[in-house]
Amino acid sequence: MEISRNQFKEKIMKLVFLVTAMASIIAVIVICGFLFVNGVPAIKEIGVKEFLLGMEWLPMQEIFGILPMIVGSIYVTAGAIIIGVPIGIFSAVYLVRFCNEKVYKIVKPAVELMAGIPSIVYGFFGLVVIVPAFQTIFGGSGKGLLTASLLLGIMILPTIISVVESSLRAVPEHYYEGALALGATRERSMFFVTLPAAKSGVLAGVALGIGRAIGETMAVVMVAGNQPIIPDSILSGVRTMTSNVVLEMGYASGLHREALIATAVVLFVFILLINLSFSALKRRAD
Amino acid sequence: MKMKKFLALGLCAMMAVTTFVSCGSSDSGSGEGPTGDITVVSREEGSGTRGAFVELMGVMDEEENDITTQNAEVTNSTSVMMQTVAGNDAAIGYVSLGSLSDDVKALKVDGVEATVDNVKSGDYKVARPFNIVKGKNVSELAQDFEKYIMSEEGQATVAEEGYIREDNTEEYTASGLSGKITLAGSTSVAPVMEVLAEGYKALNPDVEIEIQQTGSGAGIESAIAGTCDLGMSSRALTEDELAQGLTVTEIATDGIAVIVNNNNTIEDLTTDIIGQIFKGEITTWDEVTK
Repeated sequence: MEISRNQFKEKIMKLVFLVTAMASIIAVIVICGFLFVNGVPAIKEIGVKEFLLGMEWLPMQEIFGILPMIVGSIYVTAGAIIIGVPIGIFSAVYLVRFCNEKVYKIVKPAVELMAGIPSIVYGFFGLVVIVPAFQTIFGGSGKGLLTASLLLGIMILPTIISVVESSLRAVPEHYYEGALALGATRERSMFFVTLPAAKSGVLAGVALGIGRAIGETMAVVMVAGNQPIIPDSILSGVRTMTSNVVLEMGYASGLHREALIATAVVLFVFILLINLSFSALKRRAD
Repeated sequence: MKMKKFLALGLCAMMAVTTFVSCGSSDSGSGEGPTGDITVVSREEGSGTRGAFVELMGVMDEEENDITTQNAEVTNSTSVMMQTVAGNDAAIGYVSLGSLSDDVKALKVDGVEATVDNVKSGDYKVARPFNIVKGKNVSELAQDFEKYIMSEEGQATVAEEGYIREDNTEEYTASGLSGKITLAGSTSVAPVMEVLAEGYKALNPDVEIEIQQTGSGAGIESAIAGTCDLGMSSRALTEDELAQGLTVTEIATDGIAVIVNNNNTIEDLTTDIIGQIFKGEITTWDEVTK
């Protein structure tokens, strides 16, 4: 009697854990389903070529071409990576090897705090600080590709720093000591022995950074200018896929709304491709 | 050693760029009126404010398509619009008259100042209706709320909030109904609707009112689908939308102010020139001041 009751409890709890474990998978499947069911018919109606390669976005005239937004997302993300990755990796190297404990105690919590700042606050900071500064330095409106890239570069720092830092710490100490024993300087041992040994962690950090940058919305929408054109200089305005969706979703109806969901489908495919190619890279690196 | 050289070189390059660029832009600011490229700031496609603005300023081609220049900055929020224009000497944009503040300067359009009185008298032409939209099956409660909005008391609130009221009003007496009203739609209408809802609830304490800010298009759609009791729209309805059996009530009129930076010396522009600026036919302030 007692045993069967325990067995029953055991079964119930197993089921509970199974359901919780399934929750995230179910969420992903439902989101995928929603996106594709709503987005794919719109892409078909507009025409795959017209949608993906169209240069003009005029929703009121039912012209839906998202090439400027695709290019915009790629440019802005690339800019963020160019700014954020070197700073992130150097910061992590500094935190792991070259800074004293006092500095570490200040810098580390500061980096963690950065990760906790809501993106709308970053956006507002960009709008009232970076935009006027760029206006005086470069002229023009101050909003655009460079502003968005700089802001995103700052925003992805905490992700990159913490992932790279932990992967650097996971490299056995004797790699570094061995390099020193062979006569390499501290910098050389760090950058040519320890860092390559932590390659897969560094790649993971960069991948997470790209994921965050390409998916970031609220901050970008405030500083990018959001012109649906392919930028012709780094100061030109740019609209990313995410900002396209968030800008117009509130008022959109009919095919316009479906085209926005289809934009999200394209973004989703992009993120999927990035994740897949990085896991392939990582497998080769390991 | 190498590192230091590199750093020094980088710094030098940066300084050079800074001086070069600041030289380039320092020739503006002297003389009469603003110079240089105009930064055109627009609202997003589908926004009620934008829809009304392009129609009134003639930013349209023969088929009534919105032809705002693709080089215009786009924002979906009034506060970003205000911040952008307040922080950029060369910017021009537009906001609802109700959200205008001293941070920016409202231009006269065709010589008429953007004030509530001028909109009411019809002298200031850049104005649009605030509508509430009813589907086919409207609850008694929602109709009672509409009656309140159109009453003397409701319209007094509309005027207090900085919008232009309707004049033919009737007395409203509390109905004593209870229940819940859901409104959805325009983010421009929502602020005044919040205040109206408070006033209504003070008279009818058993009523709950929920206001969802989804945008004009979505609000009209929910009214058609019946997912809300009343839709809010800050633009006139399209024929397609009216064909779905909706009833429209105009609850107020809102002016749209054309705004520039406070440092801009221009006070007055014609509809034609504003239209050309937003069409991208005029791109520099020099062409405007000529």
